[in-house]
Amino acid sequence: MDLFRFSKDVFGQKMLVGVNWDFIWVPIFLAGLLILAHIILRVFVKHE
Amino acid sequence: MANKDEHELSSDTESVRHKFIDRIFHWTAGVLIIILLLSAFLPILGIKFDWLPWHWVSGVLLLFVLTFHIVRALFFQNFLNMIPKTDDIRELLFLSVKSSDPQKYNAAQKFYHLITAASVLVLAITGAFMLVKIDTPLWNRNPAILSDDQWGIIYVLHGLSSLVLIFLVIVHTYFTLIPEHRQFLISMIKDSGPKWARKKKND
Repeated sequence: MDLFRFSKDVFGQKMLVGVNWDFIWVPIFLAGLLILAHIILRVFVKHE
Repeated sequence: MANKDEHELSSDTESVRHKFIDRIFHWTAGVLIIILLLSAFLPILGIKFDWLPWHWVSGVLLLFVLTFHIVRALFFQNFLNMIPKTDDIRELLFLSVKSSDPQKYNAAQKFYHLITAASVLVLAITGAFMLVKIDTPLWNRNPAILSDDQWGIIYVLHGLSSLVLIFLVIVHTYFTLIPEHRQFLISMIKDSGPKWARKKKND
């Protein structure tokens, strides 16, 4: 999967147009992972 | 390992942890950032509407609000309170802090603010450039100020920073709502709150 999106300009040359929005789920997944890790840590510390 | 008490929230309270004007800034910026994220990403996720007026108007308002905050932080507040120092890195690594001074903000708060400030500044600067690509009642578009390659870099920086901001907003919302941080949440609403986020050593 490409990290960036490309298009073609009026001369048919490759032109950078932004980030590939398929990656929108990456920050959501990472945030969920961090929250899960924190919840597990809280339970672990509580039982200690 | 650090003494557990060193990282605990102080029970000391002061009349005002965040002044009214700073609380207004916080919630205004928060609402504008939510509008900006929704107007940017809902159409990408398939919910189609006329997102551009929502996005550029919120963006312009956020530019004003951010300018106010930066001027206030630099000239009317002690912005050093928010700059991470060696002890903050030690705190993040669960090592004992060396300084005996209490801190208004703990390490997590300082680093969170630093990363958020960086990503919002990149978004604001690249967004300000992108404003010249649209016609509005206030100005006419002039996309010729940058080349296609330069616009591509602006779009990439804007997009990457917005992805970082999604992560930060979710994490901020979670850590705001956990019971241990209830006093910090209240201090952003009312005129009271914990004086220190990191207590004086040996307190």
